[in-house]
Amino acid sequence: MRHFSEEDLIAYQLHESADERAVAKHLESCSECADLSESIAETLRVFSADPVPLPNLEHNWHRLRGNLSVLTPERRGSFELLRWKWAWPSVGLATAALVLLTVFGMRLHRGGELNHNVAVNGHGPLTTEPTDLAIANHLDAAERLLTEVNNSPGSLDDTTREQAHNLLLKNAIYASNARDSGDLAQAAVLENFGRVLTTLDNEPPTPHSTWRLRLEMNTSGLLLDIRILRQNDDHSQGAAQ
Amino acid sequence: MSNRRMEKAETEAIRDVLAGNRDAYRVLMDRHFCSVTRVAFRITGNEADAEEAAQEAFLRAYNKLPSFRQDSAFSTWIMRIAMNTAINLVERRNRDLSYHAPRITDEPAAAEHTVRIADRQAGPEGILLNREATSLRQAAMAELTPMERTAFTLRHMEDIPMAEIAAALSITSNSAKQAVFRAVSKLRRSLTPVAGGLR
Ligand SMILES: [Zn+2]
Repeated sequence: MRHFSEEDLIAYQLHESADERAVAKHLESCSECADLSESIAETLRVFSADPVPLPNLEHNWHRLRGNLSVLTPERRGSFELLRWKWAWPSVGLATAALVLLTVFGMRLHRGGELNHNVAVNGHGPLTTEPTDLAIANHLDAAERLLTEVNNSPGSLDDTTREQAHNLLLKNAIYASNARDSGDLAQAAVLENFGRVLTTLDNEPPTPHSTWRLRLEMNTSGLLLDIRILRQNDDHSQGAAQ
Repeated sequence: MSNRRMEKAETEAIRDVLAGNRDAYRVLMDRHFCSVTRVAFRITGNEADAEEAAQEAFLRAYNKLPSFRQDSAFSTWIMRIAMNTAINLVERRNRDLSYHAPRITDEPAAAEHTVRIADRQAGPEGILLNREATSLRQAAMAELTPMERTAFTLRHMEDIPMAEIAAALSITSNSAKQAVFRAVSKLRRSLTPVAGGLR
C-alpha cells in the first residue's frame, strides 16, 4: 500500500490537496496515515487563531488624519505644478539645494553615522522603544507637511496648521536627541524644520504668509534635506547589521 | 483574487478623497482597519507593531490612491499593501535587533490572550492550555522563520488564499505552500514531547 507523506496530509488538512478524495478514501482504510493526519489536525487546532486585540478606531483615525495631505486633481501630475507661478522659483531653489546637499549634507551625515544607530548607540533594545520607526515616521510627517506648504496655492488650512503645532514638540525632542547623539546633519535639518513649524504656529494664515514662508525658509530645499535624511536613515539601518 | 465590484460607498469615498476631501477616507478606514491590523498582528506578533504597520499601510494607500485602479477591490489592495508593510517592519526589526532576541518571538501581550482559548477537550490540547503551554506554543512559533510564520498564520489563522500570501511575500505560490507545510511540520514536532501520544 502506498502511504501518503506528511506533506500530502498537511495539504489535505489545509484543504490544499490536489486530490482530496483520494486522501480521504485512503485514510478510511489506513490507520497509520489516519493517525498522522489526526496528529496534523490536532496541531492545527492547538495553533489555531489566538484572539487578536482590537485596535481603537477613533484613536487611529485621528493619528492617520493628521498625516493625510489634500489630494486634488492638480496635484496628481507633476507637470501641473508648473502652472502655478510660485513653482518656478521653487524649482530653482530646489535644484540649488539638491546640489548643495548632495555635496555637504551627505558628507556631514557620514560624520555622525557611527553614532546614529540606536542599537549601536546603546540606547537599549528597540523592543520597547521603536526609536528608528518613530523618527522615520516623523520625517514622513515632515515631508508631507512641507509638501503641503510648497504646494498650497493659497493660505494653509487649519488642519495643516494644527499638524504643524502637533509636530513642534516632537520635532524639538528629535532635534535635541540628534544633537546629543552627534548626528549634526540630522539635528541641523530638524532645527530648520522647527523654525518653519514655529512660524506656521505663530503667523496668521494668509496666502502672503505661506508664500513668504516658502521663500524665506526655503521650504523646498528643506524638503529635499528631509528626503535625503530619510534615505540616509534607511541606508544606515541597512548597514548597521 | 476576488474581482468583485467595489461597493458603492467605497467608490464614492475614493472619489471624494481624490476631490480633496480627506475625511472621506474614514469610510475606507472604518471598513478595513480592523482586518488590516489583524493580519499585521499575525505577521508582526505584537500589538504596537501591528498598529504601526496598519497606519503606514493606510497612509501609503492614501498617497497611492490617485493611481489605484478601481477594477480590483480596495480591500484586496489595502491588504496587500499592509502585508508588505508588516513584513518589511519585521525585517527591519530583525535587522536592528540582530544581536538581541528576534522581536518576532516576544509576544508579551499575546500571553494574556492565549490563555483564554482553554475551553476545548482534554488530551494534548487540554495540556497545552495553561500558562506554560502558552509559552511553549510561543517558543514553537519562534522556531519558525519569519516567512514560515507569516505564511502559516495568514493561511491557517486568517484563511488568506495562498496566491495572495505569495504575492505579498514576493514568492511563488508553490514556495508559499512549502513554507506553510514546513511550519506545520515543525509545529507538530514541537508538540510531540508535550503530548506524548503524537507520532
Ligand atoms: Zn497510509
